[in-house]
Amino acid sequence: MTHTDSHTDVTTPLLQVSGLKVHFPLRPGLFGKPAAMVKAVDGVDFTVHRGETLGLVGESGCGKSTTGLAVLRMTPLTEGRIVFDGEDISHPDAATTKRLRRKMQMVYQDPFGALNPRMRVLDIIGEPLRVHRLTRTRAEYRERVMDLLDRVGLKAEMADRYPHEFSGGQRQRIGIARALAADPSLIICDEPVSALDVSIQAQVINLLEDLQRDLGLTYLFVAHDLAVVRHLCHRIVVMYLGRVVEVADRERLYQAPRHPYTQALLGAIPIADPDPEVQARFNPSVDGEVPSPIDPPPGCPFHPRCPHATDLCRREAPRPLDVEDGHSVACHLHDPSRAAEMNHSEPSYQEQARNIA
Amino acid sequence: MSTETSTATATATTAPRTEPAATLLRVENLHTVFEKDDGVVHAVNDVSFDVRRGEVLAIVGESGSGKSITAMSLLRLIPSPPGQIIGGRVLFDGQDLLDLPDDAIRQLRGRDISMIFQEPMTSLNPSLRIGRQLAEPLRVHGSVPKDKVRERCIELLRQVRIGDPEKRLDAYPHELSGGMRQRVMIAMGLACLPRLIIADEPTTALDVTVQAQILELLRDITRASQSSMMLITHDLGVVARYADRINVMYAGRIVERGTAHDIFHRPRHPYTVGLMESMPRLNDAIGNRLTPIPGSPPDLSDPPSGCPFHPRCRFAQPRCKQERPPLERLDEEHWKACWVNLDDTH
Repeated sequence: MTHTDSHTDVTTPLLQVSGLKVHFPLRPGLFGKPAAMVKAVDGVDFTVHRGETLGLVGESGCGKSTTGLAVLRMTPLTEGRIVFDGEDISHPDAATTKRLRRKMQMVYQDPFGALNPRMRVLDIIGEPLRVHRLTRTRAEYRERVMDLLDRVGLKAEMADRYPHEFSGGQRQRIGIARALAADPSLIICDEPVSALDVSIQAQVINLLEDLQRDLGLTYLFVAHDLAVVRHLCHRIVVMYLGRVVEVADRERLYQAPRHPYTQALLGAIPIADPDPEVQARFNPSVDGEVPSPIDPPPGCPFHPRCPHATDLCRREAPRPLDVEDGHSVACHLHDPSRAAEMNHSEPSYQEQARNIA
Repeated sequence: MSTETSTATATATTAPRTEPAATLLRVENLHTVFEKDDGVVHAVNDVSFDVRRGEVLAIVGESGSGKSITAMSLLRLIPSPPGQIIGGRVLFDGQDLLDLPDDAIRQLRGRDISMIFQEPMTSLNPSLRIGRQLAEPLRVHGSVPKDKVRERCIELLRQVRIGDPEKRLDAYPHELSGGMRQRVMIAMGLACLPRLIIADEPTTALDVTVQAQILELLRDITRASQSSMMLITHDLGVVARYADRINVMYAGRIVERGTAHDIFHRPRHPYTVGLMESMPRLNDAIGNRLTPIPGSPPDLSDPPSGCPFHPRCRFAQPRCKQERPPLERLDEEHWKACWVNLDDTH
């Protein structure tokens, strides 16, 4: 497989997303009445560096999948800017879109729904080759598909079979082979292992790791399983209700999460070890559920569930601030300039923290 | 655990050392099959276990392992055809549930044994108000006088921590969130104070913060009422936190059984070992590589000879291909079905 034919400086990030908003009308308004808007993504910034895996995590409705679709330019932007490989792709023309389809690929969650049941594996995997005219002869086409099958750990004779003859794990491998066919530089994985059983999940996780190492791929990894994300992702963006609440590398995010939502999320994961000592770390401290993105709460979107919320949080949405290099948090608790206002409305963070501990 | 010691002291102290806590439900050699176009699928094959009073017993396994079919077989909820229970006994209170007349098992469902299903979206009737659905088990089993039904429903919703219960009774399922609907399902399951609650993946469809709330609630309520729970799940984290004892199923059979400590810290069946090694954990060293189990689970209409796990087993010996290992006791609580003797070093 060849390297990306990018002319851009390798030190520039592969992908830069800034101020991204994606709002959907809920249903057409009657008699021209303005429709209610679902604010699926409501002001999101992040950067993906070459060769890394960036995790996009959060619970349902946080906007992580919509963000992935927006990056792929499969959903229109309401606001914001997306720069891919040095090129602004916020409003691409048809030719740019086609070029992007080659450079960015997607691996889907549902290995049963994502493959056309009437197509042979050969043509499923080879479709990007045909669409982008990447092979000249039938023989070259076949040979290329065989290479891809081998890459993802499937046998050459499987090329002439149909999707229903494969297990979930094998289908996911087929989906990955297809994503690799056009030699992309960014692969967006939307929950690629969440439909698989644990024993099969590990096979696919290892495959994704191997492919990244061998082909220098960059992944945007959208997922809700924080153990899988910790294993695969170098850096992690935590989303809540259409916004980014925390960004950090995995060591820091899992060791020392700063945002109360990240802390709640990590505390709520059951740990696969029955020892009382380990179980003592389990701390499902947060109540309630994610509010509707149609009518999100004012101020910080997490304030109705946050044990530290103050009047300031109810009034004003916090902006992301660097708490240390490469670790940013959108929370008034971590903004020294707002400390006076935060302390003003008791109980203070320190007291709360003591109460919890 | 506490109930076990209290029963032990209450009964004669001369009881043999291995005498387990009182058994609530005993399943013996359960065998459930499904007729398919391409043959008979032995979904549950020769499965035996018991559920003790006051315990949380888990059945873990991957899709197709037979864990849900086992649960549904107990209450005779297998759609027939194509499904059929072709062998075994399910003893509850000394009677075999598989022999009970239809109206007797219907009486028992929801009253003595209730089931909480996976899908809170589809298990509730979308066209009926919550109050009406919650009242149904109470009316069917006549466990509460008619004029007290509404009161009991409000109490149940309060018990599962649904705010504003009077108002919620008049809501339709679509007006509630997923977590709320699952709370209603739990309230329905608890309505008649059953002695056994079978929870089949009760939180799989929910977000992790909501899952934690629901499972803690379910555990607290069963503990308080001293009922037993059979927890069916694929999630090893959930099992580690909530189960007292665990049955691991593979290809329709129980391959290992033990206390939570046995299964997580001293697994003796290669499949259990494989599960533990293939799971990413929050307390792993970063950069560790996972060790997957190769291949995929067998087709149960054409299962492999001998041990069903042998084609994927890295410890397999010639004997494993020919003879199926029985489930044998290793020590008091720990059982395995494997010819190979694994120790802690594997």
